[in-house]
Amino acid sequence: MRVLIVEDEAPLRAQLAACLRQQGYAVDEAEDGQVGLYAGQEYAIDVAVVDLGLPQLSGMQVIQHWRAAGRRFPILILTARGRWQDKVAGLEAGADDYLVKPFELEELLARLRALLRRAEGWTRSVIRCEPVMLDLSAQRVTVNGDAVELTSYEYRLLEYLMLHAGQVISKTELTEHLYEEDFDRDSNVLEVLVGRIRRKLDPTQTLNPIETLRGRGYCFRLQRSPA
Amino acid sequence: MRRYAAAVIAFVSSVRPPERVASLQTRLLIAASLVLLAFLGLTGLSLERAFRNSTLAAIQERLQAQVYLLLGAAELDQEGRFTLPEELPEARFSTPGSGLYAQVVDRSGKVLWRSPSLLGKVLPSWPAPPALGKTRFVIAAPAGTTPVFVLGFTVNWEISTNQYRRYTFYVAQSQQPFQEQISSFRQHLWGWLLVPALLLLLVQGLILRWSLKPLRQVAQQLKAIEAGEQTELSGPYPRELLPLTDNLNALLHRSQRHLERYRQALGNLAHSLKTPLAVLRNALEQPTPTAELRDILRQQVDGMNQTVAYQLQRAAAAGPLALAKPLALEPVARRVMASLAKVYADRSLRFEVQVEPALVIHGDEGDFMEILGNLGDNACKWSRSRVILRAYGAATPSGRMTILDMEDDGPGIPTGQVPVILSRGGRIDPSVAGHGIGLAVVRDLVEEVYRGTLEIGSSPAGGARVRVCLPS
Repeated sequence: MRVLIVEDEAPLRAQLAACLRQQGYAVDEAEDGQVGLYAGQEYAIDVAVVDLGLPQLSGMQVIQHWRAAGRRFPILILTARGRWQDKVAGLEAGADDYLVKPFELEELLARLRALLRRAEGWTRSVIRCEPVMLDLSAQRVTVNGDAVELTSYEYRLLEYLMLHAGQVISKTELTEHLYEEDFDRDSNVLEVLVGRIRRKLDPTQTLNPIETLRGRGYCFRLQRSPA
Repeated sequence: MRRYAAAVIAFVSSVRPPERVASLQTRLLIAASLVLLAFLGLTGLSLERAFRNSTLAAIQERLQAQVYLLLGAAELDQEGRFTLPEELPEARFSTPGSGLYAQVVDRSGKVLWRSPSLLGKVLPSWPAPPALGKTRFVIAAPAGTTPVFVLGFTVNWEISTNQYRRYTFYVAQSQQPFQEQISSFRQHLWGWLLVPALLLLLVQGLILRWSLKPLRQVAQQLKAIEAGEQTELSGPYPRELLPLTDNLNALLHRSQRHLERYRQALGNLAHSLKTPLAVLRNALEQPTPTAELRDILRQQVDGMNQTVAYQLQRAAAAGPLALAKPLALEPVARRVMASLAKVYADRSLRFEVQVEPALVIHGDEGDFMEILGNLGDNACKWSRSRVILRAYGAATPSGRMTILDMEDDGPGIPTGQVPVILSRGGRIDPSVAGHGIGLAVVRDLVEEVYRGTLEIGSSPAGGARVRVCLPS
């Protein structure tokens, strides 16, 4: 998942970026409204964290521009002003949730996870496709109740495919959303990761959860369970 | 206090456009003087005209009478020639240069008789003879001659049966006495008009000064307020000024309350931040194990965070607005509830907003967003499936109240827990996120700023009901 952080306070931005990278997110950083606006329009952002008090262009304006340009990714606003008037204004401008500074990083991560799954139509933090269950909060995967041990990269890939269950996801989309700019796009890392996930989820090769569509990409083909 | 009074004064004087403007008194005085002058001028002109007309009419009448006198005195001698006696009925006809002249001509225009007063006088050409039985009155003043009034009258004399002769009698009078009369009248007239005009202007100036005195008083009192000698505008003021002075007073009181709140918030902040800072400093100076230090740090940072958030939100309250237009509550309620619905999109809660469409409040939009937002947020956190906001006006023993009810269908709040959740940082269930200052902020806003009440009870929907009563 690719997160854009638009925050002018360098220490806070660095903290957030480090924390999100540690959690396996691909992170883009912007130090002011102009850079943020550009990044949100040009990159394959899954979720944006926007501080409202920005130099150049206010966070509110950045959000309005994105929404006017048809960008639909969820947005979490950070604000030092805790007044409801500001929250309402931010939400009306197009944000999806807010967090008042100071906040705990855990809280931020929980809000981001919730926004990401809501954007794909999942209402609970445990998502389920037939026997495969993925707990977004605990970052745990089980098949028929048996825990599956995944590395951080494997987990991110599976999470992305499962959140978009039923959709065909191209390799380009996967690299764009899971890795930062300097990722070597020509490597076969994705194939290797998908192969490992398949073996871990389905050692007996009966489920076949991830389908390869030659030349088009991958699809998590197990049915979404009603939330 | 001074700064706020200065702000109020700046607000009042900002109503005036930047360029220099004539004072109200000057404006009124100029306008009234112009009207007065125009009125008196027109009066004078028409009086003068009326006097002139009536004088002219009198002159015409007198000349006519002279014609009749001459007519009566005229006769024909034995040869049938037209004659007038030596002794004329009007002595001025006989005195040369007397100013009264006469002449009689026959049908062909031949002069039959000239009055002795015409001796050596050059009079303007006599006007053409009028028709039979008619008079003609002419004001003749050609250059180089004495201006005169001339009256001509044509008669037919029956000399014998069916034999007539036609004569035209002219009587002329110098215009000099008339002009003198007119100019003397004019002098008197304007003299008499000028005196009352000046008197009226003076009286008017005094009236204006008297009428504008309350305005000057307002300005003086505002100066006194700015100087800190006074805290409000003290009356009595005339009815027309009451809205202004009342509103200014309301504005001043509001600024005072604001200032007090800021001061209080600053005081509280300073007070409640220094304790945790002292704890932190002590912990740093003593050799404290890292784990313990971390605990202390977390505790104190949490406490400071809560203090800052609470005190800042308290200070930010705008309070009741006497001057602002009434705030329609319904759109505010809908916006807040829509925002909550967005934030709690996962919970698939049903938001029921029942606000009387005509309900208005004299307050600040931000304050009411704060009240509704915090109450709604609380309700959303606890509710199972429904969040209900009702707002309506109601008559109570203590007057008309506006009531806001925020209800949910959650577990409700046990009576014993009410003081806990109303206190700063009080949370029944620490696992539910939030600063825990929401309800405390609402209570302060409602009770201290808007002089209302906040009451926690149970909802017919099964959960808690927080009721806010505000005086209308």
